[in-house]
Amino acid sequence: MHFEKGRLSIACVCMVLGFMLVIQFRSTEDIRASQPTQRVEELAARLHQAEAENQALEAENRDLKGMSGDAKSEKITDDIMMISGMTPLEGPGIVITIDDSAKKAKVENDPNLYLVHDEDILKVVNELRAAGAEALSINGQRLTANSEIRCAGPTISVNNVRSAPPFEIRAIGDKDNLTNAINMRGGVADSLKVWGISLNIQPMDNVWIPAYKATAKYKLANRSSKEEETK
Amino acid sequence: MIYAVVGLLIGGALGFLVPFGIPAGYSSLFSVALMACLDSVFGGIKAACSGNFDDKIFISGFFTNSLMAAFLVYVGDRLGIDLYFVALLAFGLRIFNNLGFIRQHLLKKH
Repeated sequence: MHFEKGRLSIACVCMVLGFMLVIQFRSTEDIRASQPTQRVEELAARLHQAEAENQALEAENRDLKGMSGDAKSEKITDDIMMISGMTPLEGPGIVITIDDSAKKAKVENDPNLYLVHDEDILKVVNELRAAGAEALSINGQRLTANSEIRCAGPTISVNNVRSAPPFEIRAIGDKDNLTNAINMRGGVADSLKVWGISLNIQPMDNVWIPAYKATAKYKLANRSSKEEETK
Repeated sequence: MIYAVVGLLIGGALGFLVPFGIPAGYSSLFSVALMACLDSVFGGIKAACSGNFDDKIFISGFFTNSLMAAFLVYVGDRLGIDLYFVALLAFGLRIFNNLGFIRQHLLKKH
C-alpha cells in the first residue's frame, strides 16, 4: 500500500473517524438504554400502581359490605347496587344477537344501511326498557344510568369500551314481553330485517348480566340538600 | 498503517472522554455523515491499493462528503424528502464495492 505520502493527514482523518464512531456508538447506546426501557418501566410502574389501587378499593368494598350488619341498611344498599349496576345480576330474560347484514349491498343503496349502527342498538335497548327490562348489557358492558351508546368509527362504544359486531344484548325481564316488544309489527326487528341485518332473539331461563366495571366518578356534581328548586 | 491505527485509537478515546452525545434529533444526520466518512476511508484504501492515493483528494473528500451528506439529509428532511435512506443505500453500496475491490487486490497480491 502507498500511504507513505500523507501519514499525518491519514492519522488526522482516522482520529476524526474514530471520534465519530465512538460518539455515534455512545448516543445509540444512550437512546437504546433510555427510550424503550424507560417507557416499559413507566408502564410497569403505572400498572403496579393501578393494581394496588384496585386491590385497596376491592378490600374497602369488601369491608364496607361486611360492616353494614343492619339488615335494613344492607337491603337498601343491595337495592341501590342493583339499580346502579354495581352487582352482577341473573334471572329470566332474553339474549339478542345483532349482526351486520349478510346480504350483498345493492349498488344503488348506501352500504351503511346494511351495517349495525349505534341508533339500531339504541332503538332495541329503548324497546327493551319500555317493555320492563330490569337490567341490560351490551357485549358484556352493563348499561347504567350514565352509559352511552355511541358510534365510534366501525365500532360502538358503551361505557367508553368499544366493541364490534356481532352485538349481544342481554336483558333480564319478562321473556314474552321483551320478545314481543322487539318483534312487534313495524317495530325494531321489522325495520332492521329489511336490510338483512340479523336479529336473533333467544329467550332464556337464566341470563347473567355483569356488573358495571369502572368506578363511578363525580367530579363536578355535588350532593344537594334542597328538595325543590329555589329561585 | 500504524499512524492510522493510532489516530483511530486517539479519536476513540476522545469520543469516550467528551461528555456530550448527539441529540436524538440530529442522530440521523450524524449517522449519514459517519457513513460518508467510512465510505471515504474505504475509497482511500482502495486508491492506496491501486497506487494512486492522494492525501489532498482523500482529506477533502472525507470532510466534504460527510458534511454534504449531512446537509443533504437535513435539507431533505425540511422538504419532506427522506434522503436518509437514499444516502445510506448509496454509501453502503459504495463501501461494499470498495471492500470487494480491496479484497480482490489483497488476494491477488498474496
